[in-house]
Amino acid sequence: MMNSVLVQELGLTYPIFQGGMAWVSDAALAAAVSNAGGLGIISAMNLDAEYLRGQIQKCRTLTDKPFGVNVMLMSPHVQEVAQVCAQEAPAVVTTGAGLPNQYMKPWLEAGIRVIPVVPSTAMAKLVERAGAYAVIAEGGESGGHVGDLSTITLVPQVVDAVSIPVIAAGGIADGRGAAVAFMLGAVGVQCGTVFLCAEECTVHDNYKQKVLAARDIDTIVTGKRLGHAVRSIRNPFTKRYAKQEYNPQCTDDELEALGVGALRKAAVEGDLDNGCFLAGQAAAMVHAIRPAKEIIETMFTQAEQLLKGAPAWVK
Amino acid sequence: MNTFETIAKLLAESKDMDVNDIRPDMSFSDLELDSLDVAELVMNLEDELGVAVEIDESLRTIADLVAKVDADKQ
Repeated sequence: MMNSVLVQELGLTYPIFQGGMAWVSDAALAAAVSNAGGLGIISAMNLDAEYLRGQIQKCRTLTDKPFGVNVMLMSPHVQEVAQVCAQEAPAVVTTGAGLPNQYMKPWLEAGIRVIPVVPSTAMAKLVERAGAYAVIAEGGESGGHVGDLSTITLVPQVVDAVSIPVIAAGGIADGRGAAVAFMLGAVGVQCGTVFLCAEECTVHDNYKQKVLAARDIDTIVTGKRLGHAVRSIRNPFTKRYAKQEYNPQCTDDELEALGVGALRKAAVEGDLDNGCFLAGQAAAMVHAIRPAKEIIETMFTQAEQLLKGAPAWVK
Repeated sequence: MNTFETIAKLLAESKDMDVNDIRPDMSFSDLELDSLDVAELVMNLEDELGVAVEIDESLRTIADLVAKVDADKQ
């Protein structure tokens, strides 16, 4: 068994969070991960308060284990979603795509452990000061919103910058990645892409097949021009988008409009040409559709073996 | 050096801008600063001035940040 503050204090069996993925991380996936001993996370994405409340309540019928909610700070509904979090008080709230400080007080008062995703040491320090329980240092290998730093450089720098626990994310899909995270000073991992292919994940089957077919060089980062870069799997949509992104005739508004609805088209409709299939570089390391429990147990069996074998490297 | 001049100097250094192009009425988005850049700016500002600055989404312009820093200095 892994020895981690996340196991001791959050009541997990394995120190792993399932990342909050828009149109993917619903109550069914979150409950499956929590029932398997990790921390399942429901994505509030850019939908309204009632959607989130419904998902939290559904999750409570599917698991009696702790689970979390991910609040996407660029959502037009962020205010009402933040209120629902304070009212429903899931064990953990993670945040992404911005600085959550202005929403944190009511969450902390409700006894929620707030764990923001941070792409830099400056952000990690600011959220620590505002009362974050831990931070998720997410490197640019990840899917969805990405920063510039890689996981292997970001995690140790964040570990040095703050005195709260650090969870590593970005590029982790098996026990090797998980073992590395602990060596870098993290107390656990957050994985997204590998859970896209969980049996319990309700995303369209075309999405899962896209991940399974991905090669090492098949992801691309787009959206840098608009200030919110995202990593997804190359397809006709990303080709069109990337072309317009570097077209000076295309205005920012036109570029923004090009991306509207593309995540839903991928996840709900499985639209291979017009959908945006967010996934990390680890997509190429996902080879099968498996139950969440098997994904987690396999990962930590391998991580434990590797960490136990580490003294072999020292003479 | 007053607070605005300090902010302009730090921005000019970190974002490779001409210090004379930075005006108090400019918003962070005018300057193409995202939340990551603003967090970086605030941490550098704290190191430079030795004060703690609490930021939130209500801060939109350089003038807002100057007012916040000067209030926190009191």
